[in-house]
Amino acid sequence: MKKFFASLYDLTSFSFRFFKEGAVPPYEIGEFAGHLENFGSRSLPLVSAIGLLMGLILALQTKPTFERFGAESFLPAMVAISVVRELGPVITALIVAGRVSGGIGAEIASMKVTEQIDALEVSSVDPYRYLVVPRVLAGIFALPLLTAYADLLSIIGAFIVMYVTGDMGWQLFTTSTLHSLSIADVVPGIAKTFVFGFIIAIVGSYFGFRAKGGTEGVGKAATSAVVFASFLVIVTDLVLVKIGILIFE
Amino acid sequence: MIEITRLVKSFGSLNVLKGMEMRVEKGEIFSILGKSGSGKSVTLKCIVGLVVPDAGDIVVDSVRVDADDRKSLAAVRKKIGYLFQGGALYDSMTILDNLIFNLSRHRKMQRSEAADRSRHYLSLVGLKESLNKLPSELSGGMKKRAALARALVIEPEILLCDEPTTGLDPITSREISELIGSLHQQFHVTAIVVTHDILCAGILSDRAGVLDDGMLKYTGSIKELAAIQDEEVAGYFKSPLQ
Ligand SMILES: Nc1ncnc2c1ncn2[C@@H]1O[C@H](COP(=O)(O)OP(=O)(O)O)[C@@H](O)[C@H]1O
Ligand SMILES: [Mg+2]
Repeated sequence: MKKFFASLYDLTSFSFRFFKEGAVPPYEIGEFAGHLENFGSRSLPLVSAIGLLMGLILALQTKPTFERFGAESFLPAMVAISVVRELGPVITALIVAGRVSGGIGAEIASMKVTEQIDALEVSSVDPYRYLVVPRVLAGIFALPLLTAYADLLSIIGAFIVMYVTGDMGWQLFTTSTLHSLSIADVVPGIAKTFVFGFIIAIVGSYFGFRAKGGTEGVGKAATSAVVFASFLVIVTDLVLVKIGILIFE
Repeated sequence: MIEITRLVKSFGSLNVLKGMEMRVEKGEIFSILGKSGSGKSVTLKCIVGLVVPDAGDIVVDSVRVDADDRKSLAAVRKKIGYLFQGGALYDSMTILDNLIFNLSRHRKMQRSEAADRSRHYLSLVGLKESLNKLPSELSGGMKKRAALARALVIEPEILLCDEPTTGLDPITSREISELIGSLHQQFHVTAIVVTHDILCAGILSDRAGVLDDGMLKYTGSIKELAAIQDEEVAGYFKSPLQ
């Protein structure tokens, strides 16, 4: 437990360094682009599949209940709101945490244990600026895009259910979806994905930098990164939901 | 010139260096012999500020190495080529890019100029054919050569080599030692070579010292060391066939 809080403290100061180091040149544009692509290519297939399934399941599962109250016409609204506000951002973040946080952890850890990070430092390259900053920026950019994409697929999933069961056409579905979504749903939903992107990349980097020993240390860093990033995503979400309610309602 | 005085370093309860003293003159090659775990790598890392000592002074060409003083540390690092024990080649880059990266970060230099110089150094260590290979595609000996080229490409005044021949077959390890020796003759670098390969030390160094129990004991020429009766030292000179 004491170790946990010590890590949390370390992680916090590690995170704050981002705002200090990220602002100063040289900017590693090439690195940033590479890592952005990495976020996309590593998580896109899974995000696509789960996004679509999320919409299908949500619609299938709630349809009977809505029907019981004669409220099928509200189903698109319900799916859109729950996906955009909550499920889309959190589930996307958890998927990416699993795919990318561990990847970043392993990458940096293996550089650490094979002295590549020492080599950077001796070449007057700041390892934090070179390795961490571009990854974190990539995370901050990638998560909103991935989430918006997952949201869209979920809504399409829900439409498929409505269409196949013959309850609703495309026109009606889209208007009722669009009408149901307000700024108070969309803004907090997307805003928190920036935070999730930050968490995923910074936690991966942190455990990478802390790695010790040989290949064993690399595996440990990857696992710890996934566990800790997922946990922090959920806890942060709780806090952000509360803040969102305070601001928008 | 590199001068180390009363260097102390512990990791937790493990006292690695206990007041080590060392002096390496300009243009000299100095070998540090010592058992594995005796603190040889730690000593080299203290010189470039990768490890911060608990006490003691390190002076490189009249600049004191101080991890808190970014400017002087950067100045010291600019002079130093460092060959890491495991090579530490960047595994996401080709061999050529490893050198170009190092060079363009160390010295403000155009990419094309850096590429030309990198190619030159890679051919110097006999890797002309492998420029575009990734480190994972190279054998152990080739990795050491590539890492050596990466250390040399910045044309350092000081070369620190951490076990340049460990883990290599006797023929390759002799080649690497001779390579370092001939590069030394060409460029007159000051070098510290950490090794437990007496052949390597013998080929290369003017003087050597034995690191034992946190101190540098028995400093002298290889011939002088060979005459010492102490088990600790004599062990390095025993031929496996005797
Ligand atoms: N960063 C570190 N943290 C803890 N212990 C270390 C660290 N670096 C080195 N050591 C320990 O210091 C001792 C000397 O290490 P080292 O200098 O690498 O030995 P060698 O002479 O084989 O190069 C070893 O026991 C090693 O475990
Ligand atoms: Mg060592």
